[in-house]
Amino acid sequence: LQMELQAVLMAAGGGSRMMDLTYNTPKPLLPVGNKPLIWYPLNLLERVGFEEVIVITTKEVQKMISTDPKVKLDVKMKLDLVCIQEDADMGTADALRHIQQKVKTDVLVVSCDLITDAALHEVVDLFRAHNATLSMLMSKAHEFTETVPGQKGKKKTGEQRDFVGVDGTGKRLLFMANEADLDEGVVIRKSIMRKHPRMHIKTGLVDAHLYCLKKSVVDFLADNKSISSIRGELVPYLVRKQFSKSTNSPKVIDETHQNLKKNDKIQISSRDEELLHLTQERSCWNDHRGDMSDAYHGGRLRCYVHIMDEGICYRVNTLAAYIEANRLAPKLFDEPAVHPSAVVSERCLIGADSIIGASCQISDKTSIKRSTIGVSTTVREKVKVTNSIIMHGVTIEEGCNIQGSVICSNAVIGRGADIKYCLVGSHSTAREHNSKIAPEKRLTECHRAEVNITYHYKSITYNNCHKVSK
Amino acid sequence: MSSRGGKQKKGNVTSEQEEEEQPLQAVLVADSFNRRFFPISKDQPRALLPLGNVAMIDYTLEFLTSTGVQETFVFCCWMSNKIKDHLLKSKWCRPTSPNVVHIITSDLYRSLGDVLRDVDAKNLVRNDFILVYGDVVSNIDVSQALQEHRHRRKVDKNISVMTMVFKESSPGHKTRCEEDDVIVAMDSKSKRVLHYQKTQGLKKLQFPMNIFQHGSDEFEIRHDLLDCHISICSPQVAELFTDNFDYQTRNDFVRGILVNEEILGNQIHLYVTQDGYGARVSNLQMYDSVSLDMVRRWVYPLTPEANFTDQQGQGCTHSRHNVYRGAEVSLGHGSQMEENVLIGRDTSIGANCHISNSVIGNNCTIGDNVVLDRAHMWNNVHVSSNVEIHQSVVCDGAVVKEAVRLNKQCVLAYNVVIGPNLSLPEGTVVSMHHPEEEEEDDDDEFLSDDQEVGHSKDKTRQKAFNPAEVGPEGKGYIWKASMNDTEDEELAQCLWGLVLNPDPESDSESEASEESQDRSRSVSPEIDDVNAFQLEVLGTLQRGLEENIVCDNLVLEINSLK
Repeated sequence: LQMELQAVLMAAGGGSRMMDLTYNTPKPLLPVGNKPLIWYPLNLLERVGFEEVIVITTKEVQKMISTDPKVKLDVKMKLDLVCIQEDADMGTADALRHIQQKVKTDVLVVSCDLITDAALHEVVDLFRAHNATLSMLMSKAHEFTETVPGQKGKKKTGEQRDFVGVDGTGKRLLFMANEADLDEGVVIRKSIMRKHPRMHIKTGLVDAHLYCLKKSVVDFLADNKSISSIRGELVPYLVRKQFSKSTNSPKVIDETHQNLKKNDKIQISSRDEELLHLTQERSCWNDHRGDMSDAYHGGRLRCYVHIMDEGICYRVNTLAAYIEANRLAPKLFDEPAVHPSAVVSERCLIGADSIIGASCQISDKTSIKRSTIGVSTTVREKVKVTNSIIMHGVTIEEGCNIQGSVICSNAVIGRGADIKYCLVGSHSTAREHNSKIAPEKRLTECHRAEVNITYHYKSITYNNCHKVSK
Repeated sequence: MSSRGGKQKKGNVTSEQEEEEQPLQAVLVADSFNRRFFPISKDQPRALLPLGNVAMIDYTLEFLTSTGVQETFVFCCWMSNKIKDHLLKSKWCRPTSPNVVHIITSDLYRSLGDVLRDVDAKNLVRNDFILVYGDVVSNIDVSQALQEHRHRRKVDKNISVMTMVFKESSPGHKTRCEEDDVIVAMDSKSKRVLHYQKTQGLKKLQFPMNIFQHGSDEFEIRHDLLDCHISICSPQVAELFTDNFDYQTRNDFVRGILVNEEILGNQIHLYVTQDGYGARVSNLQMYDSVSLDMVRRWVYPLTPEANFTDQQGQGCTHSRHNVYRGAEVSLGHGSQMEENVLIGRDTSIGANCHISNSVIGNNCTIGDNVVLDRAHMWNNVHVSSNVEIHQSVVCDGAVVKEAVRLNKQCVLAYNVVIGPNLSLPEGTVVSMHHPEEEEEDDDDEFLSDDQEVGHSKDKTRQKAFNPAEVGPEGKGYIWKASMNDTEDEELAQCLWGLVLNPDPESDSESEASEESQDRSRSVSPEIDDVNAFQLEVLGTLQRGLEENIVCDNLVLEINSLK
């Protein structure tokens, strides 16, 4: 596999949709099940046998990976870290263009926020079997069941759906558009329907942001500087291009070979392309029914998608997904729930579905259920933690009750605090100003933004919280 | 929906058991309400035109009977007497017939809508019924579709009013005719039709967003469906036609229901069969394909040798390569029947003939050295020697003299005489009726008038036949093939129908334009934004200078532009 595909991991995203969490910790290093998020895609690649991976990331992440002891990536693969400037606002396609020199073969691009147990070979097999230009992974969207801190009621379905059209076999990608761009309704050319008379349009899918791309696509990107995002621009472009004539008509192939660079068309030639073409010509194999025209109708650009019916596939790019991923993460690897170096009192209750990180201190009469406790976290006596994510280095004083909340790194929870469905921010640079929830205060369903203010002015906390009761 | 509909609903729910026991009914519309088959249908209504030597309406009735229909209402308008005579003589009107046929005639029917309004007015249907045209050839077993339809109506409280039956066949299939091509958007799980559109002449297919809004997250867009023109209708369908007097065709109805779905709450579903056969003979192109499909036994058990009409002397034998011979057929020395040939009784064929993919009626005589390929000859046709006929229709009593060649898609209507020594160009239509005579009748916009055609005969007789057109001994008038007309309406009306010509190159233009769009799109957004911003800032600054706006306000304004 190594020779055939190069793995590229995109880990430079800022996590703009969950700013509260990524305020201090860059998204790739957010702890999920006490492992940095980036570990999951790396592990996925390692499991299928990659020995080397190009990681595109920021300086900050690189520094933290090399220095911070809490960020331990136990992967055996060789990581080739490539840093890009944070302020350059580079999209994923820009990043791919950035490393064009390193790309020698077809590439497998993975996003750092993917947590999945997908059989990766399904995607790669599609790529191989059809000599595809692009193959990608999608999954049925999951409903997030957990209550999300700071969000009242059910999340409204305000997000625009993606319309994904696949053919009768469910593999060939024929159409892709976002609801936002479909003011005039779904418009499909009749010629496409003639070639693929049965099109399934699915709206309830999530894109895993895992792509197999031909090397020629990377070269194409180098020539087309206007495309900056893989998902936003490149993939829809490729899907559309499948049926455009200029790349398909056999008559112009020869010319295209020469004029490719000038025309900015995607070059799909590789060293054995000639041979493949000959085989296709001689073969009577056909990918469709109903007529005897060439396989793929003579098209030279093909996009495929593997849609997972079951299994875990999450993109950790929102708070809700983050919480869900934390709940599911323990199922993905078998390690002891309680880290051997953690000091856990015998007289406390720890549920089987909880994880306790390294060098934690858990005191007496504490109960922890369905929660994740990060590295070097101290939990004092008589604390109750349910359905919560406690990150690294947090101190929870006596008698606290924490439910359905996310406590970010290095926060201090004051004595007797009652925290329900809150998100408590972190601030690692100013240790003194760590979030301190004053003793005996109950914070219920706080707004995220308001909680972020807590760590500077206690009094504001008091006034701004929605429901504060003594 | 009227209050009547409400009553009906209640009635249905309470009398479920009765419902099961009630006989299945069907409405057969033995009129096409158009003139596609003119001039042939001037002498014979379309439903009685022979297909494989059997009138088309017999196929439809056989299909209905075999799916379990026990009561059929046949509605006729154009030449209703002929249809009535035919049916009264047929096995359907014998006392032993399992399917009771009621013939209802009226000159006032102008469309399918009128028929169904009459069904409602006369209160003929009591339950779900099957709606077909008299020119549908099918062997589909609709009982499963019927079951699904009934189930849906039971579960969803009569929301589903119609189930359309489609056959799966890929684009480019021979029996799909271009003008009947549809595209259907459906809900994959419930099989509900969300959008239904004829695709003729469209390059881009547009689906409004509102059809994707309700609940489901999986839709299907299908272009591999052949409309069999068989629909299972709830009794409400007739009422809906009454309520909406502007509905003329089933197409109007379907579109109307889908558009007003939210208001009326009616839904349409579809049933797709994979192995059945069903097609409507809507033009000669379809006639040609269906006739050949019949001979090739795709409509089994409705095959030529089955003699399902149960008429004396109609039987024939079936030998290999699908060659069927009726009684008393004589075949000259050296003549070959290659494949897919059906020859009716008492027909004699001369020596050294080549016949393939053809149907020849009863009492025909064919001379020597004749080549027939995809010829459809009806009864009492006389063909002399050295004639060549390719993909053409020759009606009853026509005479083709020596050395005539009929090129593709010619039509010789009733009693026409052609030749000798003539080659008719492609698409020639010859009839004993003068084309202008037809135009005189044409005052009436609606096309199924039952006016006596003969009344202007004296006038037409005066006009002489043109020997250059029909040969020295010829009799008949050339009907100017409307194919040559550039007007689209005319084109749609032509006898043969549009030739299914999947031309993949045809949409290159739109593609090219789209491509350039792509380019501009892919290049533009950022640059455009920057440009636009610069222009705006410039404009704001100029205005600020002119109107003496305070600097702070300008800064604020420019910031807000970002």
